[in-house]
Amino acid sequence: MPPHLGDSHRRFLQSMMSNSVMDEQQARALYQHCCDIHKAQCVPDKLDDFIETINSKLQPMFMQIRKGMSEDNGQQYYALVNMAETDVTRMSSDYADNELELFRKTMDLIVSSENGKVSSTDVLNVADTLTIKKLKKSEAEQVLNRLVQDKWLNEKRGEFSLSIKCIIEMEPYIRRMYEDQLKMCHICHNVAFQCQICDSPTCGIKIHNPCVARYFKGRVEPRCPACDEFWPYEIPGISFYISIYKST
Amino acid sequence: TSQVQRGLDKFTGSQMDQKAAEVIQYILVKDQKKIPVRRADLVKHVLKDYRYIYPEIMKRVLQTFDQVFGLKLVEIDTKNHLYILINKLEPQEGAAGPPNPKMGLLFVILSLIFMKRGAVKESECFQCLLYICGERHEQFGDVKKLVTDEFVRQRYLECVRIPHTEPVEFEFHWGQRAELEVSKAKILDFMGELHNQDPQTWSQQYKEAHAPPPAAPSTSQPNHSQR
Amino acid sequence: GKEKASQLCAEGSSFDPSAFAEHLLSFMGLNRLEDAQNGQQNGGEGYLPDDAWDRVARRAECCFKTAPTFHYMLGSFHAEPPPPKQRTE
Ligand SMILES: [Zn+2]
Ligand SMILES: [Zn+2]
Repeated sequence: MPPHLGDSHRRFLQSMMSNSVMDEQQARALYQHCCDIHKAQCVPDKLDDFIETINSKLQPMFMQIRKGMSEDNGQQYYALVNMAETDVTRMSSDYADNELELFRKTMDLIVSSENGKVSSTDVLNVADTLTIKKLKKSEAEQVLNRLVQDKWLNEKRGEFSLSIKCIIEMEPYIRRMYEDQLKMCHICHNVAFQCQICDSPTCGIKIHNPCVARYFKGRVEPRCPACDEFWPYEIPGISFYISIYKST
Repeated sequence: TSQVQRGLDKFTGSQMDQKAAEVIQYILVKDQKKIPVRRADLVKHVLKDYRYIYPEIMKRVLQTFDQVFGLKLVEIDTKNHLYILINKLEPQEGAAGPPNPKMGLLFVILSLIFMKRGAVKESECFQCLLYICGERHEQFGDVKKLVTDEFVRQRYLECVRIPHTEPVEFEFHWGQRAELEVSKAKILDFMGELHNQDPQTWSQQYKEAHAPPPAAPSTSQPNHSQR
Repeated sequence: GKEKASQLCAEGSSFDPSAFAEHLLSFMGLNRLEDAQNGQQNGGEGYLPDDAWDRVARRAECCFKTAPTFHYMLGSFHAEPPPPKQRTE
């Protein structure tokens, strides 16, 4: 039988509900904080066990605290996700049906794109093709703003990509729905949206940008891990990711 | 009754657990917008065939909210059977997510009502809000609508008609959700901070804020017409 | 004398909504200067910083025993397969 939860677990779970997504450092600090408040034992490297205990109790509700790597900075993030798709979960009312349709179409564009991004112009164009109820341009812009604010999409210089929270929660869905369009990272074997693709026509493997940085770090001449051809892209340095990380 | 017995015989323990989990999902969905859950809706949309063993299912639901989430499901209206979720854990600074400006506005209104001994005329409330934030607001949109519609539906506020007024006038009271969720003592502390004044100098409010809480939410229905 | 003091105490100090509003605006960081550049103009005279209501909300947090809410995307809509992608080969 799984161990019982204490108030430290409950507080951690509640914080995951209100914060929707947090990086590893924040999760560790939260773990410490929750244990301190409720005078529970905190073992610094046992965060994942602590979370596993909570997950065992969340499982009947098809909820889970899950981990994933951000394609932007290579950091691990934690998010509380829903795993059920039922009549009850479809009553969720954060977005109207046509707003959800816009989100789905944005996802279609992102998944089928080369670089895991879509321009706001392209998204606003599909807002015209919604079947449920069309959105005016200004309305569609507002929906996109909300999706960014609620951390389902990232926006950078007029381009949208899937947020880490979205990837963590939606990965099983994306694997199921976009089976034939998916790119998988050769290094970490997870779904890849923003990645580099091997130039060699017979190979064409994909590697996440942060995985590229990690894999080629310290190598004199970068070569494809699958076909050994020269890897012709700029290798983002680890320091590059650290600087992004600090600026966000 | 025999219906209950038949219900209990019909479903296995794990079926009942599964139904309880669905009820929890439903309540969490309704709570996204802080709208109270109506028992009739719960029965219609989720419980269905399990309606005859409602107490048995709800026992499991309450237990899970308590043991897993640290939350408490409370019936705030025993006539219409409305339920809300409240937190069992003491609020902590900084642990919550991004600040919600609407909660700030609500806090101001609740403070005003509490300091005015439980009731503030609608006109006076909006005059005060108008002075503080203007009529239309970037973050709140239509302030009046937010207050009279959203906060009232969430049961943070109650909008009550003042008897024998012509034209008709309304006043705001604390709603049942506010009574359960919001600490009057802490509001009074904030008032003391703002006015640079000892909270005890508002002796009536102080007495009310530090009175022992009622054992259970009141079961009687206020006897006045509501909007 | 003693009787009068206790009577005063029972009545307590009065509460003035307009003083409350002024104190609150100061708490929210109201800039009372006419030529303030940033922020929203309030009903009175002055400009509130953009995070004015966040300040109040943060202060309010410890007074509310509000349950946190759970928001998700998966499961909030019917899963329909995307249109087949035209292959350009
Ligand atoms: Zn990878
Ligand atoms: Zn290759």
